[in-house]
Amino acid sequence: MRKALTLTTAVAAASLLLSACGSDSAKTSSSSGAAQASGTIASKLIFGGPAEMKSRPDGPAGWAKNYGVTFQSFKVTDTGGPVTVTSLKNGQIDAADLFTTDPAIKANNFVVLTDPKSNFGAQNVVPLVNKKKATPGVQQVLDAISAKITTDVLINLRTQVEVNKMDPDKAAQQFLASLSLPTTTPAKGVTLTVGSANFPENVVLADIYADALQGAGATVSKKLNIGSREKYIPGLKDGSIDLIPEYSGVLLQYFDKGASATSPDATYAALQKAVPATLTVTKQASAEDRDAIVVTSATAKKYGLTSIADLAKKA
Amino acid sequence: MSGVITWLNDPAHWRDRPADSFVGIPSQIVNHLEYSLIALGIALVIALPTGLAIGHSGRATWVVAAANALRSIPGVGLLVLLAVIIAPHFYGRTDLGYLIPTEIVLVLIAIPSILANTYAGVDNVDPAVRDAARGMGMSGGEVLRQVEFPNSLPLIFSGFRSATLQVIATATIASYFPLGGLGRFIYDGYHQQDYDQMVSGGILVALLAVLVDLVLSLVQRLCVSRGVSGRFSKTPTQDPATAALRTKEEVATG
Repeated sequence: MRKALTLTTAVAAASLLLSACGSDSAKTSSSSGAAQASGTIASKLIFGGPAEMKSRPDGPAGWAKNYGVTFQSFKVTDTGGPVTVTSLKNGQIDAADLFTTDPAIKANNFVVLTDPKSNFGAQNVVPLVNKKKATPGVQQVLDAISAKITTDVLINLRTQVEVNKMDPDKAAQQFLASLSLPTTTPAKGVTLTVGSANFPENVVLADIYADALQGAGATVSKKLNIGSREKYIPGLKDGSIDLIPEYSGVLLQYFDKGASATSPDATYAALQKAVPATLTVTKQASAEDRDAIVVTSATAKKYGLTSIADLAKKA
Repeated sequence: MSGVITWLNDPAHWRDRPADSFVGIPSQIVNHLEYSLIALGIALVIALPTGLAIGHSGRATWVVAAANALRSIPGVGLLVLLAVIIAPHFYGRTDLGYLIPTEIVLVLIAIPSILANTYAGVDNVDPAVRDAARGMGMSGGEVLRQVEFPNSLPLIFSGFRSATLQVIATATIASYFPLGGLGRFIYDGYHQQDYDQMVSGGILVALLAVLVDLVLSLVQRLCVSRGVSGRFSKTPTQDPATAALRTKEEVATG
């Protein structure tokens, strides 16, 4: 007993001593931001978002650099999930990180703050295609569809699938029917396998592209809900999958770790250069599924917020 | 491993940095102990009287068996379920929407070992001792308070100590929601792919659990009657014959 106690005391003393001479990683980084930002609207607000955002370049460090915005504090909630939504709705937090296509934004009248300086990189929907299968006919079909997919369209599709529990393929066909596409068959003779990542939005997008190609004469098989990028990109490279709906920013990061483009057009241009030789991207849709800073309509009204830059104004 | 030592050695991790929304190790230990002590307090208030009553009366022993079934509860699963039900009812700057579900889970985890050990402690008191107490004219309540309870203290303590260990280890689940505690380092470290932070959090939880257990063992030493624990002074006070025998034994065993 006495031995154990002595041992613990020794360990505690040793760790205290050691910690006293450890190097301080935060000596320079902190305090400057807080002093600069005092008195702003943001300094009165609590932000909620996923833990990883705290250390991401488009997180607090990016807001401070791009907009001079520093929130009162950062509360770890979850990744655009129910904890974030409930906390924002009930006032535990005042601003939150949600995805732009989240049905909860509309359902709760949340306000998405615009991001004029592209702090959050563009994440436009873009089909990633096996170059051999991307005939002019196939490209024509894909481009026609991509031109119609806006962020609002994606929100509606997600609401149908995630809130109303509609079958993704049924939602996709309903959307295609509403477009009144031409009845020509430019993709005739092409055989494709369409894949998707394992989240509802991506599945619906894959269904839309696959059904459209089928309608245009191609022979299409589907391999949906494959998993994450690390799982399906090898499939695209070895030819077991020919098409997958992707997002421009994250895909660019995947192929080029050092990429710095953030605006939609620059990202798309960089992406075209970064994809491996056997793959290609067709035209990107205007639909974006990216992180956004979201506030309640009451907060937006109280402080007159429409853009992230407004948060740096004096309260 | 050297990364973990560096992380634990960094003074920046030992103080609160409001500008970075970082809560330091000492404050998180306080949070962690707070969540654990609330749960243990509630569990003790529920399980101790219940266990004593069941052990004393010998009735309703099925309650102990039923409480033991609580051990099979999946903590995080129940926590998420409770949070989904409870959290939407709390408005404004409060953590109660997530604190209450966490405490419920921790209390449910702490109850079985306290209850089972209290019951077993009272139930296993030598019937002859109980009989003697009765024969001396003690009432039922007096037997419970002055004979059964002191005699069952070692087992009650061991139940409470294992409950404490379990609760301190499990209190990390609080960080699944926007709460503090040492789980914060494990959860945030995992999501930020800062595995030094994650392992450091785990080590701190283990150290805290062991330290608290040491403290409780001291308390147990002070509380339990020496007549029950069998801990007597080593200086021989008995007759010289047994003393000589003992010395011989000690010499023999070294």
